[in-house]
Amino acid sequence: MSEVIVITSGKGGVGKTTTTANLGVGLAMRGKKVVLVDTDTGLRNLDLLLGLENRIMYDLIDVTEGRVHFKKALVRHKKYESLFLLPTSQVKDKSAVNPEQLVRLCNDLRQEFDYVLIDCPAGIEQGFQTAIAAADWALVVTMPEISAVRDADKIIGELGRADKENIKLVVNRIRPQMVEKGDMLDMDDINDILSIECIGQIPDDEKVVTSTNRGEPVISLDDSQAGQAYRNVVGRICGEDIPFMTFPKESFFQRLRHALGM
Amino acid sequence: MMSEDIVKLKGTKTGLQISFAPGVTFQAIEKNIKRKLESGSGFFMRGTVVEIAPNLLRHADWERLRVLFRRHGIVFRMSKPSVDKPADSLLEEAAKKKKKAREREVEQMVVVDRTLRGGQEIRTESSVLVCGNVNPGAQIIAGGSIDIRGTCRGLVHAGAFGNSKAFIIADRLMPMQIRIANFIARSPDQPETSDKAERASIKDGQIVIEPIER
Ligand SMILES: Nc1ncnc2c1ncn2[C@@H]1O[C@H](COP(=O)(O)OP(=O)(O)OP(=O)(O)O)[C@@H](O)[C@H]1O
Ligand SMILES: [Mg+2]
Repeated sequence: MSEVIVITSGKGGVGKTTTTANLGVGLAMRGKKVVLVDTDTGLRNLDLLLGLENRIMYDLIDVTEGRVHFKKALVRHKKYESLFLLPTSQVKDKSAVNPEQLVRLCNDLRQEFDYVLIDCPAGIEQGFQTAIAAADWALVVTMPEISAVRDADKIIGELGRADKENIKLVVNRIRPQMVEKGDMLDMDDINDILSIECIGQIPDDEKVVTSTNRGEPVISLDDSQAGQAYRNVVGRICGEDIPFMTFPKESFFQRLRHALGM
Repeated sequence: MMSEDIVKLKGTKTGLQISFAPGVTFQAIEKNIKRKLESGSGFFMRGTVVEIAPNLLRHADWERLRVLFRRHGIVFRMSKPSVDKPADSLLEEAAKKKKKAREREVEQMVVVDRTLRGGQEIRTESSVLVCGNVNPGAQIIAGGSIDIRGTCRGLVHAGAFGNSKAFIIADRLMPMQIRIANFIARSPDQPETSDKAERASIKDGQIVIEPIER
């Protein structure tokens, strides 16, 4: 049974695309057949994160408008053979695809793949409605700050209106020191407001940025905390019961070193 | 048949009366209503009461529609059979009317059995019972009182059409603002939390909040 999952957030820049790329690689590392569909038409960057930009021949719009079969537009990942990207156009806008077209496409993709992950644009406009239309369930990404959580709450409400009741949460860019000092919302605060199942707590990790620049998502690095956290999310998506990581607090010396700017 | 004709709605004092074109299937009815609800055109406002004449639908179908409406925050219920029999006497008729009005008042509570999220709004002349939280950015404007079986962090306005006897109850009452009739109280900048349910009402010309037992 294949699953279509939309990755969405409300507020922009909280890590939807990063999450989509990492989960895609993670599922492929487990041997699943995965396709990532970029619906952020006009601002596409999922291909960058996967290091596939130079291999794109056709895009989502070519497929939905019937110019090519989807198989022709798929780009296979260099390293993970069962991972594919369906890129979108950089020149068209969000109105180029409508919900019915995406539903039809996803039904075709279901025949070939175990997982279809849809990277959603920010906001609640037409692009959002199109991206969620085909999804079996939704993954809402947020950050531990008030405005991102409020927007996540709105998105959860919108998903409910569209009859998408199965919604899970990933909290990204957690900074344990800030949480401890009370400068960032902690998980209790977030769960209290959003009250949906949380399946991921990803620390803020500069390796996310450096790995992005290399086109190699952080989940494939053994020595990254964010990578481990994403591997745990993948396990939970596959139905495993995995406890949440606890983040080591800074030792006194580390703190001293930070204070001295070392 | 024009799809517009499948479902007919008529405004009444308490909300909307729904009826269906003769001979259409339940599937068509359900689809039509679903589309209306999802069009987001504000066709049905949250908190609206939709009434249906008894015996118009099979029970199972009725139940399906009730669930569908409820998901959109709309109350779906049977209307009382219409009084088309000749009245026995004027007196009896008057008494009946009075009783009916009283029943309406009791009945008139909008029940929301989920969390109200940011951007969602309930606006009604009657009272509101929320079985869930009222999140920041959500809003309830009620002619009557408001009872929240959960945490209230949104904006709540009870007695919005002048009833200063209206009150607000919540398991955890920590809204940005409380309004009752034309009184406004703003939350303190350093909110204190109480583990008791609380009730806000107007006493001596101001909004007071006191703990209550439930
Ligand atoms: N856990 C993390 N630690 C550090 N940086 C991160 C983390 N997650 C994401 N980022 C950085 O945050 C930025 C935004 O991430 P991303 O593009 O995935 O967000 P998005 O939600 O897809 O944005 P948009 O709404 O514009 O599509 C990127 O520069 C990314 O490298
Ligand atoms: Mg993105």
